[in-house]
Amino acid sequence: MSEIAISSVRSLPRLRVAIRGFGFAGLALIAVAVGLSDVIARAPADTAGAGPLLAPPSALFLLGTDALGRDVMSETLHGLAVTLIHAGLATTITLTAGSLFGFIAARLPWKSGAGLRWLAGILGAVPVLLLAILIVGITNRDYAAIAAGLAAAPLAFARTYDRARLLSASRHAEFARATGIEGATLMRRDLVYEFRDTFLTLFARALAAVTITLSTMSFFGFGAVPPHRDLGLIIAAARATYLEAWWVAAFPALALLLLILFARLAASLDEGERP
Amino acid sequence: MAALSQPGAQSGAAGYFSALLAELGAYARLDFGTSVISAAPAAQELAERLPVTLELIGLGAIVALFLGGPLGILLGTERPLRAAAPLIQIVAAMPVFVASLALLWLAANVLHWPGMEHIGEPGLSALGAQSGFDSTLRTLALPVLTVGIAGAAAVQLVLRRASAEAMDEPYRRGLRLMGLSTLEINSVYLVPQLLTELCRSLGDITLALFAAAAVAEWVFAWPGAAVLFLKSVALHDWRVAALVLLVFAAIKFGADFAGELGAHALSARSAAS
Repeated sequence: MSEIAISSVRSLPRLRVAIRGFGFAGLALIAVAVGLSDVIARAPADTAGAGPLLAPPSALFLLGTDALGRDVMSETLHGLAVTLIHAGLATTITLTAGSLFGFIAARLPWKSGAGLRWLAGILGAVPVLLLAILIVGITNRDYAAIAAGLAAAPLAFARTYDRARLLSASRHAEFARATGIEGATLMRRDLVYEFRDTFLTLFARALAAVTITLSTMSFFGFGAVPPHRDLGLIIAAARATYLEAWWVAAFPALALLLLILFARLAASLDEGERP
Repeated sequence: MAALSQPGAQSGAAGYFSALLAELGAYARLDFGTSVISAAPAAQELAERLPVTLELIGLGAIVALFLGGPLGILLGTERPLRAAAPLIQIVAAMPVFVASLALLWLAANVLHWPGMEHIGEPGLSALGAQSGFDSTLRTLALPVLTVGIAGAAAVQLVLRRASAEAMDEPYRRGLRLMGLSTLEINSVYLVPQLLTELCRSLGDITLALFAAAAVAEWVFAWPGAAVLFLKSVALHDWRVAALVLLVFAAIKFGADFAGELGAHALSARSAAS
């Protein structure tokens, strides 16, 4: 295990480890709920007229119904599934184009990595949300997940690049170079250890970031396309009625908040820290 | 982007890059082109909207400092108050658009502010049309609070980390042994340290405020530059969209630079004293 990774793991206090475990348990629970969403939900996605219009939560409709008579609980579950699937894809893109590429770029010859780091810094000066919306504008809404992943990649790139530079200047790297171990071999070794030790944290962090971006994009109308509504789009649709019927927005918002909260806890993010 | 939208642009990669170079050349001459929607110069479109966004961000920054400043220092220096940290974690997990809708709901249903269901049309620049101090305040309160809360999360984090670190510094014990009171130590050593860290994070805080302003402008129909960007992207008005992003990035870099200068000045002053 690398020196930096060792120190970061050892320095985690017991409470923090417990909170992190709680975050992963919450994410696992959400994944199970999403996996069973077709079974748990009483109506398929976007089914209007499943009940009376704007019925408050009751024994029949646990989370009430919306302005088109859609069951809010079913819609929230389906929306959570769409959000998680899109966020999963976006996270994979962020980890590949950002974290993995950042790690490799730190070892690229002729200072080309530094050039890429500079470019990531330039792109990082634009809010991720606006960058993602720009990519959707250039392509189309079907690529929202890819856009969110790519927009979050510069930040992930910069973080991993800086960390990888530290690793390449660490004592074990100096020793390896002095004993004649090739740069490529050292990079492979560091890459395996680094990602083995930090992959779940990086994944959870990226998941929190892209979920916020994706849901906000959908809220603006640049994300999910009906009938595959995600939580952002469901909340956007609820805007017209939620001041009188709070449940149409509150439960989807709560589901979104829990998803982001669990991802933040799993990533051991500090309170208020940007994912 | 804007290069591609040029009529008569050559096809293929070579055409694209020559159009891109021509576009960058025009930018270097401060010629940002015209909007394809309004046919007005893109710079004029932005100049009309940017002050509104900057006003919103400025007022939001004040709220962020008032909320996040004391919170960060208290959480960093008073260990028992760390129990309140999970609450901040929950607030930080809330997307800005959810927070803004929650504020709107509270204003309508708890504070019973009138006209909340029609919220949106009047912006800061239209405040003259508002009748009375109350309605002006209500028009301002929700978008400014939305931006302020997002900024407060960033401010409290910087100050909490800096003050927690400063509290563990060995020099504090030495100064106490020399007879200095806690107030004296904090005002002479802690405050400059906190201000330095705040300056260093100015760029990140600015970025958080801009992202929150985009949401606040959308939710409360604030006629600012972020909404101009969204509309430009939706209508493929690339010249305006590119200019908005360019200006946002320039402001972020400006904030980074000013923050670094401020941090250097504060560090130099602390070292001299």
